[in-house]
Amino acid sequence: MGARPIPGVDVGAATDLAVLKPFDPAGRTVHDPLLMSRFLARFTWRHVLAIGLVFALWPSIAHAQGRFSYGDAFAALTKWIPLVVIDGFLFNILISFFAMGIGTAAGVLLGLMQISPSPVLRLPAIFLTQLFRNMPWLVLLFIVLLAFPFEVEMFGVIVSFPAWVKAVIGLSLPIMANIAEVVRGAVQSVPSGQWEAAESLAFTRRQTLFEIVLPQCFKRMIPPWMNWYAILTMATPLCSLLGVEEMINLSRQAIEAEDNHPELLVPFYGFALLIFFAYCYPIARWTIALERKYAVKL
Amino acid sequence: MNKLLRTSAAALALTFAASTTAQAAQCTNETWNKVMERGKIVIGIKADYKPWGYRDTNGDLVGMEADMAKDVADTLGVELELVAVQSSNRMQFLEQGKIDLMIATMSDRADRREIVGIVQPNYYTSGTNIMSPKALGIKKWEELRGKPVCGKQGAFYNQIVEERYGAEVVAFTGNAEAKQALRDKKCIAWVYDDSSIMSDLSSGNWDDFEMPLSSEDDNPWGLAVPKAERDCVFGRFMSGMQYNWHQSGALMELEKKWGIQPTAYLKKQNERYSDWLAK
Repeated sequence: MGARPIPGVDVGAATDLAVLKPFDPAGRTVHDPLLMSRFLARFTWRHVLAIGLVFALWPSIAHAQGRFSYGDAFAALTKWIPLVVIDGFLFNILISFFAMGIGTAAGVLLGLMQISPSPVLRLPAIFLTQLFRNMPWLVLLFIVLLAFPFEVEMFGVIVSFPAWVKAVIGLSLPIMANIAEVVRGAVQSVPSGQWEAAESLAFTRRQTLFEIVLPQCFKRMIPPWMNWYAILTMATPLCSLLGVEEMINLSRQAIEAEDNHPELLVPFYGFALLIFFAYCYPIARWTIALERKYAVKL
Repeated sequence: MNKLLRTSAAALALTFAASTTAQAAQCTNETWNKVMERGKIVIGIKADYKPWGYRDTNGDLVGMEADMAKDVADTLGVELELVAVQSSNRMQFLEQGKIDLMIATMSDRADRREIVGIVQPNYYTSGTNIMSPKALGIKKWEELRGKPVCGKQGAFYNQIVEERYGAEVVAFTGNAEAKQALRDKKCIAWVYDDSSIMSDLSSGNWDDFEMPLSSEDDNPWGLAVPKAERDCVFGRFMSGMQYNWHQSGALMELEKKWGIQPTAYLKKQNERYSDWLAK
């Protein structure tokens, strides 16, 4: 990682003293909210080199069973890279931007509702959060796909919902729920003494929340927020199952146009893997770096 | 000549429309009117079925069905928008109105006619066969009983092969994945359209494989308009288009253009609908 590791943050705490670990009554391993980013960020240039070597050697290891060689397959891939990246991958990124934007806006609202003193706001918010957090993403995508009409007429104007818009909505629901948890967790992580102190200074609840608590939360919400963005980006290929013309679907169609040789599968899907990794890896490194930075200033 | 044919197609469509005044009362011609109003027809074709409908490296949809769609738009004098559909969503797209017309390698089945408006005469036909390793020496369909067989998701004959011969179909989203599974010996055969298997075998990449059975379920393909408009202007018009493609030999020319093996079906239809005065 370059920088000196911080005990207790990214390496185990080295101490002989008794340390109070987070208590989990069910006895499970304590959940790490940044697991995905930590996993991705652990890749070093050595791993990347090893993966690259496997790709370079692949044609000679796996010998083609027909006249169509792996050389032909890679030549075919080169031809399709512009389409697959520009029309495909950038579309995945676009979907992830929109889903993250909608998910974050709705998630902040839902998160604040969860900490509302009024049960009318709090209880439905908790229910929605748990519902969308625990539903499989693919199920949510299919529900949105089937439940929404493809176009609606509003005030004489026809608004159409193409499949990718439905995919954005479908993906923003689990993001909303998880961001809501991030917001709730961040607000609750601010020591309760601050609430009491603010109250004694005649701050209203709203003033305390918006002027004292949330400004502190903002920084500590950034790493988990970015972590969810990386997870979301890697989930966008799910949209291919809805018929959205994103990277995986275009790769499949390119394989078809190149006559469906099975030798094409590894180059095309391997390329998709590399592109997604190249995009998400810097995000993961940045996430972990930010987490370290803010952890010190606690 | 071509213009004459198109005029006659339109005239034919009109004749059909006039002869069904009884049904005309129920016809709203919603899609037809929408196409005319917008000056644009949205046609769903395959993007994963070479050479019928697939993408070129620019991302444009091309293929035999793309050419047919172009002809429909030109005849109507409207703009053409092609939308890529998959076997699993093509009928839903038509039902939802996302596409106005579907020309997507769909077999004309009774259960499908209840969902979408498939119009006659069918423009193509294909049968079902398997590709399997020569080493297995499969001779009869019955030998597939209880064995894993690779297939493509959304193909109607998957169910038939399962019910009639007791094969266990493992369906994949893409042909390449299914054929890789066949090579990896995850299944004993790949069940698909005979014309596609034949072109694979002739490519020289499948020398250890064969198409050992006689094709079954020779099934005409149908294009479809929304179900409500099957017996209305749109359906009658598409009947006229297909009749004309058969009569003029346009489909056989497209077959040649896209390197599809000439089928007896198209030749027969061409003779059947030939103009008795043109001889």
